[in-house]
Amino acid sequence: MRGSRNHSPRKRHPVTTLALSDAGETIVATTFSRAMKRAGEALGSMSGQAIEVRTPMLRRCSAADVVAMAGGAEAVVAAVYVGVKGSLQGHALLLLSPTDAHRLAQILLTGLLGPGELPVAAPTDPLIFDELELSAVQEAGNVTISAFLNELGMHLHQPVQPTPPQVVIEMAGAILDGVLMDLMSTVDQVLAARTTFTEGGREIDGTLLVLPRPDSLPVLLDALGAIGI
Amino acid sequence: MTATAAPTVLVASIGEMVFSSSPDSSLVAYGLGSCVALAAWDPSSRVGGLAHFMLPSGPSNGSGPVKFIDGGLDNFLKALEARGAAPNRIILKAAGAASMLAIGGGLAIGTRNAEMMQTGLAERGLRLTAGALGGTAGRTVQLEVGDGRFIVKSLSTITEL
Repeated sequence: MRGSRNHSPRKRHPVTTLALSDAGETIVATTFSRAMKRAGEALGSMSGQAIEVRTPMLRRCSAADVVAMAGGAEAVVAAVYVGVKGSLQGHALLLLSPTDAHRLAQILLTGLLGPGELPVAAPTDPLIFDELELSAVQEAGNVTISAFLNELGMHLHQPVQPTPPQVVIEMAGAILDGVLMDLMSTVDQVLAARTTFTEGGREIDGTLLVLPRPDSLPVLLDALGAIGI
Repeated sequence: MTATAAPTVLVASIGEMVFSSSPDSSLVAYGLGSCVALAAWDPSSRVGGLAHFMLPSGPSNGSGPVKFIDGGLDNFLKALEARGAAPNRIILKAAGAASMLAIGGGLAIGTRNAEMMQTGLAERGLRLTAGALGGTAGRTVQLEVGDGRFIVKSLSTITEL
């Protein structure tokens, strides 16, 4: 017997899909794009660097697609997670490679403390972060994601609130597991928005991933006028 | 000169299961967090299987035969049997069910996954012979079909179960 992969359940069940027209998706994508640009500006303002925001992407995704958007299940990332509460519910993550997270922390701490007073030594192991670095990365994620949510809230004309940020250094698949479980207990696809930030062409490549809960999507679509078009 | 086939790696993504009886193949699930990977290996027929479960229970299995533990366990066990593995011989090992982000309230989903796995197997007269369940670390798991070794890797450790 050769190796085999079994994708098909014995008993077929209908796959739940998101009811969103192409026109509706364009409206949501435009709004998310504005909010992601605002998030990039906030990150740039905080770090004192010119941050370039690449054109955001909005897609209907399977769980495997979402993990691929984060760089793959085994890619190690420094992730700042913020839950989204209020009129729109869901999850938002700022994902950085460990090297870029160190780089961002150095930039932020240098700006805060001055170049001669940086208490953080260059790491020998990129996966090891000291408390100060983790705090800096967490705050960068918090500011970035909050800027996104504030902009989104303005378009929705309703408050969208972040939960306290959590920072974790782990495999991307492991970090996203809990998020996907929360989203996909009743559906097989989620709406995912993603953009990448670049500073100076290379030093900080970050990914902002936003995943609304499927059951709160009607609020988003209704507020944006994206229902029934 | 005889050509040597390259070792085969079959990947079980979320909600998927993979099987092999080729002795040079590995069955892998990458980056497990709260999910649970269940490995089964029959030392007699040398058939191996790996299932990547996502949630303890749910209304359907739409996107994958093993998205949910409660409905997916039978899919996995029957698929193993169809490939020549005997239920009374299979060695079962599992890893995953970690909790690394505080999402929502109530019992962490990882804990519920671990409990459902133990309960579901017990209801079928089966049990895990080894497991690395819970904690806060992500894991990648690998079942070596040739000898049944089950290797669990985290960012800081590699363990053979």
